[in-house]
Amino acid sequence: MECAFDAQNLISISLRKIQSSRTQRGGIKLHKNLLVTYVLRNARQFYMSKNSLQTQRRPPCEDAAVVRGRQEYLELSSSFTELADDFYCNFTGVESDTWHCGAHQPSAQPTELARQDASACAMVPSDSDLMVAEACWSCADKSSWELPIPNTQANQKTVLDLDTHVVTTVTNGYFHSDCCAQPKQPQAGAHCYTGKRKMDTSYYIVDPEFYLPDLVPVPFKRMRSEDEDDGDLQSDSEQLESSNISNLISVLGSGGLSEFVSWQQMDLEQIFGSQTICLKQTLLAGSGWTRAIEAF
Amino acid sequence: MAGVAGGNDFQWCFSQVKGAIDEDVAEADIISTVEFNYSGDLLATGDKGGRVVIFQHEQESKNRPHLRGEYNVYSTFQSHEPEFDYLKSLEIEEKINKIRWLPQQNAAHFLLSTNDKTIKLWKISERDKRAEGYNLKDEEGRLREPYRITSLRVPVLMPMDLMVEASPRRIFANAHTYHINSISVNSDHETYLSADDLRINLWHLEITDRSFNIVDIKPANMEELTEVITAAECHPHQCNVFVYSSSKGTIRLCDMRAAALCDRHSKFFEEPEDPSSRSFFSEIISSISDVKFSHSGRYMMTRDYLSVKVWDLNMENRPVETYQVHEYLRSKLCSLYENDCIFDKFECCWNGSDSAIMTGSYNNFFRMFDRNTRRDITLEASRESSKPRATLKPRKVSTGGKRKKDEISVDSLDFNKKILHTAWHPKDNVIAVAATNNLYIFQDKIN
Repeated sequence: MECAFDAQNLISISLRKIQSSRTQRGGIKLHKNLLVTYVLRNARQFYMSKNSLQTQRRPPCEDAAVVRGRQEYLELSSSFTELADDFYCNFTGVESDTWHCGAHQPSAQPTELARQDASACAMVPSDSDLMVAEACWSCADKSSWELPIPNTQANQKTVLDLDTHVVTTVTNGYFHSDCCAQPKQPQAGAHCYTGKRKMDTSYYIVDPEFYLPDLVPVPFKRMRSEDEDDGDLQSDSEQLESSNISNLISVLGSGGLSEFVSWQQMDLEQIFGSQTICLKQTLLAGSGWTRAIEAF
Repeated sequence: MAGVAGGNDFQWCFSQVKGAIDEDVAEADIISTVEFNYSGDLLATGDKGGRVVIFQHEQESKNRPHLRGEYNVYSTFQSHEPEFDYLKSLEIEEKINKIRWLPQQNAAHFLLSTNDKTIKLWKISERDKRAEGYNLKDEEGRLREPYRITSLRVPVLMPMDLMVEASPRRIFANAHTYHINSISVNSDHETYLSADDLRINLWHLEITDRSFNIVDIKPANMEELTEVITAAECHPHQCNVFVYSSSKGTIRLCDMRAAALCDRHSKFFEEPEDPSSRSFFSEIISSISDVKFSHSGRYMMTRDYLSVKVWDLNMENRPVETYQVHEYLRSKLCSLYENDCIFDKFECCWNGSDSAIMTGSYNNFFRMFDRNTRRDITLEASRESSKPRATLKPRKVSTGGKRKKDEISVDSLDFNKKILHTAWHPKDNVIAVAATNNLYIFQDKIN
């Protein structure tokens, strides 16, 4: 038996398995999908560690503006990474400081930044859209082949384009032209989650029992925080109802939804104005971005 | 040649094969579970089409005393039908996941069969007499005109051809949100447990409208889910004890006397992972696919993708015995992941005396391990070696270098031919091996 054994290929295979499980007879198999997310996590860690080595070998001369933008982005996103650490480490009860998958820098300003934007922009109304933003991270692994990943990589997303089968790492980027054609003027597409509004701290609990077998968009349970506006609630429902991505996230235990859970009060316009977009590889080729599976 | 589970003269030979010979296998005919009853006289199989076929052991023939009796079809019935959950837009497969026999208490036989969502209790009874001479209806069963009845008579029981009837006596439904993977009858013969990915319920055999949830590992937030329940079984003698295995390779033993909800285990069995063997697929291959108590109740056996482990219930930190089933597949895990074979759930079973264990593999191979002599043997269930009383020749997979004669290379293995379900007669050396849509029965050669 021959197989192209590399992390990118594994990611591609895994995401295809997740997608095909949606149409399997008998509904989504929770056990199998959970195991697939473990493979995704492992491949991602390996893939990111390889990328970090390549990044460290970059030429020293870089556009000062790009560097400055990246630094600002890193500062803003670092505290989110810290939040993510705490969340992910809940799995094994290990304290976040033992998580060596990414060094995080304490920051007093928690933020949601591009990871949130990318997540939101991936929620386009498409039958084949899936988002596996984060697998179930285990913080207890200390095997030697899991190299520490610098914080730079923690702000990146690995994306599989189902049309071209290209796996790409995107740093602090938008994905959908409707939502993100202009980084400073986010388009509130019909189903783009990030509108010009404050982020709410409400808790979106999607009950997988209700739609676990099939990712048909269904109403989801929701717990409100005390200070939430009713107006936001209605608009949120409309935006989320047409997306089945959160379904899959809940099913697969993705950390992507955890980002929504740990949102802080923030004005998105401030975020958009201060960040720069850095794409390793051009993804948006006109209207080519119709189907994407976003991983991590 | 020395064999397993017997003396030096012990050999396995072919007895019977059930099922179609066609190369094109219908999905519905694929056998999904095999189970002997407590006496071994009955052998039940379930398939993906929701059917149950029961074979009965015929007495030895006087003409051929050197052979044990054969298993012939006793009863066939449709246990489960495909269903559709309209609320969740979910199709519920009719595939029989498990069959478990109840101890026989009268002339009838009872078994539990389950698909992903519903468990059914079936009564299999024989009818060999028929009442004749009814007053109100004639011989064809038509009602008589009342004015034609001028006398009374007592109906007489007349012999008839044996008829085996299967009737559903209880239906245990709507208790599992996730897919049922196990059912296990308790030693009290009154209760049984059913397990799905996240919960285990305790039922009373007489009560269908309620069950007790005794294990619930569903996290408050599903994003925190890290493991699922893969198998569960009641202790063979202690009706308060049961075990369940997880996708993380751990086994939890619970005592129902400790609390109503047994989320806190009494014992936790886990073998530390060898860091040198870590790979992308470590989590998958460590997931336990089956757990079985020994008949003595002192040991339990677990099956993961590459090995079988025997645990002493008194020692939690490591198994007492580990048997490699097909270690040569470790270097092929990537391909097995691609073709989904890595997700295959192999079962395992004990022989009647707990001296040997058996489990399946690929290429229609199955493996037996003698716990006393530490010998192991690989046999094949194939039509080519299906001549009556033909001795099974041990098979060997060449793992590298030169391939010897009669060996098969790893790359030549047929991964579509997998033996996931096997059963060992509770008393005799008779085994049932399910190979896709065929059921092979092998027995020891009585010398």
